[in-house]
Amino acid sequence: MRYSMKTHPLEEQNVWEKEVLDRREFLKRQLCGAAFLAVATTGIRLPDALSAADIPDLAVCKGLPGAATRAAVDLLGGMQAFVKSGNKVVIKPNMSFDGGPETATNTHPAVIRELVAMCREAGASRVRVLDHPFRQVKLAGIELAQEACKAFGEDIVHALYDRDLYRSAAIPGGVSLRQTHVMVDVLDADVLIAAPVAKTHNSTGVSLSMKGMMGLIHDREVMHRDHELDPAIVDLCTLLRPGLVVVDATRVLSTGGPRGPGKVIQMDTIIASRDTVAADAKTVQMCEWYGRRFEPRQIRHIQLAHERGLGRMDVENLTAKAREI
Amino acid sequence: MTFQRILQSLSFFLFALLLWQAAFPLVSILPVEMFLWLDPLTFLGTSLSGRLFNAFSWVSLLVLAFTFLLGRFYCGTLCPMGIAVDLAGCLISRKEKKPVAREFPAHLRQVKYRILLFILGAALLGVSLVYLASPISWITRLCGLILHPVLSFLGDLAIDAVRPLAAHWNMSSLAYAQLSTPRFDFQWITVLFFAVVFACARYSPRFWCRYLCPSGAILALMASKPLLKRQVSDECIHCGLCAKRCPMGAIGDDPSLTDHRECIVCETCVRTCPSHAVSFGMTRLGSIKSSGGFSLDRRKLLLSSASGVGAALVTLTSLRHIGAEGGVAKVSHLELIRPPGAVPEKDFLALCVGCGECMKACPTNTLQPVGLAAGISGFFSPVVTPHRGPCEPLCNVCGQVCPTGAIRPLPLEEKTWAKVGTAHLLRHKCLAWEYGKKCLICAEFCAYEALDFKMVSGISVAVPFVNEKKCSGCGVCEHNCPVQARSAIVVEPMGALRLAAGAYRENGREMGLSLSVRQKGAGDLPFIRDDPEEEGSGYQGLPPGFTD
Repeated sequence: MRYSMKTHPLEEQNVWEKEVLDRREFLKRQLCGAAFLAVATTGIRLPDALSAADIPDLAVCKGLPGAATRAAVDLLGGMQAFVKSGNKVVIKPNMSFDGGPETATNTHPAVIRELVAMCREAGASRVRVLDHPFRQVKLAGIELAQEACKAFGEDIVHALYDRDLYRSAAIPGGVSLRQTHVMVDVLDADVLIAAPVAKTHNSTGVSLSMKGMMGLIHDREVMHRDHELDPAIVDLCTLLRPGLVVVDATRVLSTGGPRGPGKVIQMDTIIASRDTVAADAKTVQMCEWYGRRFEPRQIRHIQLAHERGLGRMDVENLTAKAREI
Repeated sequence: MTFQRILQSLSFFLFALLLWQAAFPLVSILPVEMFLWLDPLTFLGTSLSGRLFNAFSWVSLLVLAFTFLLGRFYCGTLCPMGIAVDLAGCLISRKEKKPVAREFPAHLRQVKYRILLFILGAALLGVSLVYLASPISWITRLCGLILHPVLSFLGDLAIDAVRPLAAHWNMSSLAYAQLSTPRFDFQWITVLFFAVVFACARYSPRFWCRYLCPSGAILALMASKPLLKRQVSDECIHCGLCAKRCPMGAIGDDPSLTDHRECIVCETCVRTCPSHAVSFGMTRLGSIKSSGGFSLDRRKLLLSSASGVGAALVTLTSLRHIGAEGGVAKVSHLELIRPPGAVPEKDFLALCVGCGECMKACPTNTLQPVGLAAGISGFFSPVVTPHRGPCEPLCNVCGQVCPTGAIRPLPLEEKTWAKVGTAHLLRHKCLAWEYGKKCLICAEFCAYEALDFKMVSGISVAVPFVNEKKCSGCGVCEHNCPVQARSAIVVEPMGALRLAAGAYRENGREMGLSLSVRQKGAGDLPFIRDDPEEEGSGYQGLPPGFTD
């Protein structure tokens, strides 16, 4: 194997640029958020976790990929809050690009490994790490994920191409996209965990947990051809609703995504939430994209999802806990 | 099981194994195209038509030399076509115990020489019709392009059938096993050919080998007076059983005489002789008489080669024929996107024997046999078919498995520069250009970064542009384009780099090309490519996908 996880410089390197927010900028953003919330009318679903006061809506942890992943999930109440004993779990990372961790096109293998380990600790009966790559060749992303999960002693990581591994599913909440073929494993799973890498996307601005759901269905072409892409992503997200989102922003592909190559920024950050819209929105807000800063509402599918009540993008109004390891 | 049958089985097993191993990634100790090297017609025909003494030729010359000593042992033990014909004979022959030779007129045996001379006559003028009659080429097509897809299909059905059980018992490797069936064009021509060849085995064992096989004809010419010969002792009771049983009909009315040109050293006669009078052994040259058999009619043979020359002339003057050209091929037909590393079209057609080895090995199934687009001599030659699959950037197997050098064996770095064509946009079909939809799948998939996306006035979304200098023609854009029927971005063999010799990289650079694939793990960590041109400009203030 070309890239050994243990000696990977990203794991050892502990330098990250601090996100600097001066007071003015902070206030400005607060105001924007408040203004937007006022505009964004009624019908916003409040997150379920709000009842438990000490559990934040968002967890943001800095550190090595594996450790930060565990810390972020722990801040949300630990994996046992999401995965019950005997549950079947599907984890959806990005792993369909042919590049190592340095390209920031795939979720870091250490993040995937940590999530699998935590699911197993929580008593999951079956954990699968699945994706639907476009190319049917040995891809570095898949190979590295498989390598990382080797220690668990069974084949956990799979690339699913065959139509027989997908099943037709109606999307009752869909406006435009009303039916698609979803991985049988996902339809039969008790818990879905989205674990995207933070990266840009030439069509949708960014590709995070919501856009990543396209990696669980068979025919993605129709979403481009027969529908408008952004509303169709939201339609899909009404069906595929991860219980937990863990965004890998340890490295961020800040330009040239989703395939790269592009500018890779080292953030050493993991963003976790129960709310897929909030996780994506927080990631958009926190990271630099094309050398600039953007608001979550500037990503159309995030805004649409917020408007349709799938989650909240007004991250300023959500509780967040941060931790450095 | 006799010794000959054991050798035959081993040979066929090896043939099938090597063909199966012709795949990406290529892992094989022996060259997977080895059996095509053994075929004397492939050697003689392509050497003549391609004006080229191929590096592999010594293999075929070795077979010829051994034939000079041992007779047509190759036909009797090694040839996979012969084995298939034998097998078909066993399966479909009549109720009698063994197929019995029917007497066809002896002059029918001349047909194989005439086919041979027809092909060589055409090859004289540089037109290769080897694919028409080369036995190994046919059997490779049968196994690689017909049987392999059928077996894959059946395997896939079997996997689908047991999948629920495997999932239930948590047999992960089986539950997630996936076989994709390769599909090929023009199967029915191959199927029809073999239907006829096999059906003929019902009337005469080894009908193909006796009457039609031009490779057999070359070997027969070498084997007229071999050292290892059939000998009949005085114990012969002239029962004629050997003559009846001989699959090649090489024994005449006098059982002690043999037509060595026709004998394939299978030793059936040794086994059938009730008085154990027949043996094979080394003799001094000419010490044992051979039966006259039939005599070659020189006039007819001359006529055959003349018709070969005539066929070549017609081919050379057809609209489809491509004249000599320099570095860049002037390919006339849109379909003719040749595999990366294919030599210039004229040489390519002279060398390609249409065996389908490259098509079998192609991981994306993009290599397909072409019909008449390249003229009659190009039938079964391979073309890249992006609509079916893209040319995989990490793969260079087609050139590695080509038996005749029609596709050059290039290292991956060189193959990257072997541009097969250029993509161009059909803007009137493009989701972004015509319908203002967010798409850009082409740019997402292009491994060569040959697609730029820019904002243009009047369109609300970013639209794709092809950078011809960076495009390799791999067709991943055409393949993945979501537009139905004809894709909105299509590859044509425009600007293909076709070199008979020399480095692709250097030539490509001279032409102003800039081809590179982002290698996995390349570059120092973290990988940063900051393109000053990229930021700000082209996006009209906003990067792709972001809104105000």
